Amino acid sequence: MNGLMKWVKDGNKEQAVTEVKRLMDRGETAEHIITQYIEPAMDSLSNKCTAENFNLLEVMLSGRAVMSVMQTLFPPGTEPAPTKGLVVIATLEGDVHDIGKNILKTILTINGYHVIDCGKDCPIEQLIDTVKKEKPFAIGVSGLISSVVPLVKKIKPLLQENKLPNIKVCAGGAALKQASKELLNVDFLAENAFAGQSYLDAVWTREQT
Amino acid sequence: MNHLERLAATIKFKKTDRPPVAGPVFGHAAHLSGLPLHKYLQSGRLLAEAQIRAYKHYGYDITFAFFDVNVETEAMGAVLHFRDHDYPYIKQEALSPDTDFSGLVLPDFSHAGRIPELLEGVRLLRAEFADSLPVAGLVLGPFNLACQLIGMENTLYLAVDNPEAFTGLLDFATEFCIAYGIAQIKAGVHLPIVFDVSASPEIIPVAFFREFELPRLRSVFKRFKAAGAIAGWLFMTGDIKPILHYFPRIGVDIANFDYCVPPDAVKQSLTYTCVNGNIKPLLFEYGTPEDIDRAARELLTEFSRRKGFILSAGCEIPLRARPDTIQALVNAAFESC
Repeated sequence: MNGLMKWVKDGNKEQAVTEVKRLMDRGETAEHIITQYIEPAMDSLSNKCTAENFNLLEVMLSGRAVMSVMQTLFPPGTEPAPTKGLVVIATLEGDVHDIGKNILKTILTINGYHVIDCGKDCPIEQLIDTVKKEKPFAIGVSGLISSVVPLVKKIKPLLQENKLPNIKVCAGGAALKQASKELLNVDFLAENAFAGQSYLDAVWTREQT
Repeated sequence: MNHLERLAATIKFKKTDRPPVAGPVFGHAAHLSGLPLHKYLQSGRLLAEAQIRAYKHYGYDITFAFFDVNVETEAMGAVLHFRDHDYPYIKQEALSPDTDFSGLVLPDFSHAGRIPELLEGVRLLRAEFADSLPVAGLVLGPFNLACQLIGMENTLYLAVDNPEAFTGLLDFATEFCIAYGIAQIKAGVHLPIVFDVSASPEIIPVAFFREFELPRLRSVFKRFKAAGAIAGWLFMTGDIKPILHYFPRIGVDIANFDYCVPPDAVKQSLTYTCVNGNIKPLLFEYGTPEDIDRAARELLTEFSRRKGFILSAGCEIPLRARPDTIQALVNAAFESC
């Protein structure tokens, strides 16, 4: 594994930034750095983070390292436009545990998605209003406590009611994972953030063909 | 055999009249009593009354004196937002990553936040049940408390960015955990459960657990037993398979295991450690009594030859669980002689 990939995977943001500066000085383009180093590092982390081997600290550190690299490659005002579709994410009302949602946001952003984050303790009306206004191709909801289950169940009917039946709903998080996608009335129940990203990748690719 | 004798025998893998069964029922007791949760969570008397009522309703083998996971951090100055139907959340953390953790002092438990109320609840429960029903308290483990004090993301980053400060925070959390647990023992609990779900391998790597948390947990359980706890009970959730084998050397006598840990893994790693688990908590809210009965009987059969097993959910029974599902859990244990 080359230097930058290793530092990103190890979550060492200082070394990752030092290495990316060295690559830039050598004349490597931002696009080349992302496709040759960052994306393979995240793929490698994704492959490692199976249901049996997921570790929040490692994912958070790698995510932080990637964000630092991206800020080095693209100073404020020069960020590239997202290359994939729009996803609206939220942790629903009653639940203030948003680490899972934040990780999903980081992973999706790194992978080229445009992410609108409705935050934690988000009323379902606010989520649906955002969806009506922004027209994403998917919604991601994360839940650590069981009291959000009834709210998650309402999302699809509310999308139907608002004539947005094609928007996919992906759920994840410790409490929601105990349920089935049928009980939650969602399109996909993700074991972790990477599984959620894989699902969204598949949907996005399908929608482009 | 009374409930306490049944638990004590089970911990030692001795013969019992039937397997013990624990909810664990925490805030659900308020729901069962029709109490607004925020009132229950701020009154030792209401906690004790609701827990007594819940025990009389279900007949399980352990009662729990526990408000919520924010009691300790509130005692250290965190600002909480209480709600009618859910546990409170932290509006303002007690400390920040920039705090000088070496200068922290323990609060006076007779005045700190809701701790006096909790200890009053313990006293009332012990007065009611004496030595017939185990009264279990609950304290946050060092890593879990560190996360509550400054936030989980801050704690994880601090561990990597400033290991010295992180160690200071963890040492303070350990000191708090020991002192609070001993205060609960003095107030009357038979044992304080150590709740350390944030130290799960799904959150921190195994080597991190072994290096930082294991020695601290060991000293916590040692001190609790020296203070009179009848056993060391560790409560972790998520996939804890990679760290199960450490538990005996930590001093764990009872280990909670969640629904995602198969009984075989537990039996393999914890040959002589009593375990409790592992029905999906959500099944108590969205399943049926038949679902619970089936899952409970499978577990009882699984552990019937091994012994050392307490039938329970893999984590807290949800606040709005269906009472008939909890009754099904208890009935399964009663019918398994």
